[in-house]
Amino acid sequence: MYNFRERLKSNQAIGVILSLVLIAFLIQLFLSPWVYRKLADGFHLGFFPILSVVLLLLLSLILTFDSHRKEKPADLMTLTFKSFLSVVLILGGCWFYFMVMSKIGFLIITPIFLLLPIYALGLKSWWKCITGAVVMTVIVYAIFSLLGLKLPPGILSGILPF
Amino acid sequence: MFQPDALIEAFHLFFAPQVFYWLAIGIALGVGIGAIPGLTATTGVALMLPISFALPVAPALGLLIGLYKGAVYGGSISAISFGVPGTPGAAATVYDGYKLTQKGQGRKGLEMALYASVTGDSLSDIFTIFVAPAVAIVALAFGPTERFWLMALAIILIGALGGRHLAKGLISAAIGIFVATIGSDPIGGVSRMTFGLWWLMDGIHIIPLMIGIFAMPVMLAEAAKLLGERGIAKRARERISEAPWKTGAGLTFREYRQAWKEMAIGTSVGTFVGMLPGLGATVAAFLSYGVAKQVSPKKGIGTGKLEGVAACESANNATCGPTLIPLLAFGIPGSPVAALIGAGLMLHGATPSPRMFDLYPDIVYALFMILLVGNVFNLGIGRLFARLYAMLAQFPKPILIPLILMIATIGTYAFRGNPYDVIVMVVFGLLGFAMTVIDMPTAPLIISFLVTSMMEANLRRALLITGGSWGQALFGSPLAVGLIFTVIILVFFTVQYLKKGEQ
Repeated sequence: MYNFRERLKSNQAIGVILSLVLIAFLIQLFLSPWVYRKLADGFHLGFFPILSVVLLLLLSLILTFDSHRKEKPADLMTLTFKSFLSVVLILGGCWFYFMVMSKIGFLIITPIFLLLPIYALGLKSWWKCITGAVVMTVIVYAIFSLLGLKLPPGILSGILPF
Repeated sequence: MFQPDALIEAFHLFFAPQVFYWLAIGIALGVGIGAIPGLTATTGVALMLPISFALPVAPALGLLIGLYKGAVYGGSISAISFGVPGTPGAAATVYDGYKLTQKGQGRKGLEMALYASVTGDSLSDIFTIFVAPAVAIVALAFGPTERFWLMALAIILIGALGGRHLAKGLISAAIGIFVATIGSDPIGGVSRMTFGLWWLMDGIHIIPLMIGIFAMPVMLAEAAKLLGERGIAKRARERISEAPWKTGAGLTFREYRQAWKEMAIGTSVGTFVGMLPGLGATVAAFLSYGVAKQVSPKKGIGTGKLEGVAACESANNATCGPTLIPLLAFGIPGSPVAALIGAGLMLHGATPSPRMFDLYPDIVYALFMILLVGNVFNLGIGRLFARLYAMLAQFPKPILIPLILMIATIGTYAFRGNPYDVIVMVVFGLLGFAMTVIDMPTAPLIISFLVTSMMEANLRRALLITGGSWGQALFGSPLAVGLIFTVIILVFFTVQYLKKGEQ
């Protein structure tokens, strides 16, 4: 069982997974009517998308069978489910931060959203966390405002000078 | 080719106070970014791309090019001070640089790094200014068929040279081609590959793609590492007490002069490597270090010698200017930063192409001026604030990572005010992280993304000219056949080289 899980992290396994996904996608592409549409210059609309997927498929097959197939990328070997989950959570957090920020406003929500990761990543003094979060928010807001890049004011709309 | 009117216009563009202070800001930021291990010039330039859009073209170029030059030099600060390269390009500097610090000559090492960087950079910039227009004249003689093959050659080269594993580099390039086909076809504007999502009809925008691929994965990897390893901040603080710049004599002119041979090697190697697509500062620095060691065995390079620092630092900075030659002459970016600078030009309406010198000569001349004057700023800022930057190298990651993630998110949104751009950035952030984890280079993806629409347009133009004959369109000229052979030979030698490396 352990060996199988290890082998799942080899280049060969990556190649197999990629190939299967690409075959499914290629079938999907061939079933799409837009692919066969002929343009004014006689070129088919789907030519380049299909070419790119075929290229990807060929290269994935090479990855499956070439001399590096048994190698296991070092970072993939050390990647735990927990750290992968934290990466997904951080990315989800970025999206959630953006959604909340566009409603409530950059200046209110940003220090709160900065505070949590700063603490979680290892800065354990709350005082330093709060100071860091507030100072960074104000600096970034000032720079973006001075450049004319508008950040969502949210509920502070009409109160802020910029 | 040379247009005096455009030169006058370029002087107008360049001699504006805004250009100088954005150039200074770019370099100041760049040296800091380079000095912080984990952050690279690519991450910095990607993050600044949305901000550069808010500026006129010359200050925007000042910010991006200044940041690039500053970051390439800045990598040496932590390499010499703490033995940790700030950027991959400064990895070779550690060999002699850190040993100098251990011998109590850290200040000399830092100053040699600065002077060698500025020397290599300035000389290679002059080379760029003379060579790029000449190459552009050659590029103008190319028809659609030759351009198509030239772009194919660039994609294959960048993919092949992007890493140790040929297939992975080429997969990355193929992903770039695939992503570039999302949206609409480049000639008729007919929508395709939108997956039923109306907001993909305009295609994937360059800003969320670049931030997602270049800035996010680095920070995600750092965050994952930090969550796994506690106590990093504490260890970093312990190291600061060993900082080298507190004591020791500075570099003398004689010592600088004695390293002329290594700087000449570094500048030549860096200039040559910089021009080639897919290699970059790291390869240049290691190659120059190896050559310098071979050429002057008596100097004892590798045992903590200023000449070793000079060879590496002049080489990595000498790639900065020449890396723009393929971009300016052919519209093909040869490195990730060249791709980002190309994107910066595109955002200002000056899309890089073989007609760049014809269509936007004023912008190109202003860019040359920025390249040259940037070195003076780099020298001044590096000289005055080296100590401060060495301290910045210890900036706590728990603050840095959320700050950069926040800038990435709001920068992506603020550029167009389009919430879907944030989704695209998040998706490509995850893709970039996955690629990093499986040891797949990300640069070929971006470069082929930028080139694909031009490649498709050129192929279709060639087909139109030849009345739909594929044979004529693809192999109709001797130059095109020559380029195809070049592709085959280069791939063959790359495979042989990689096999030899394995053995």
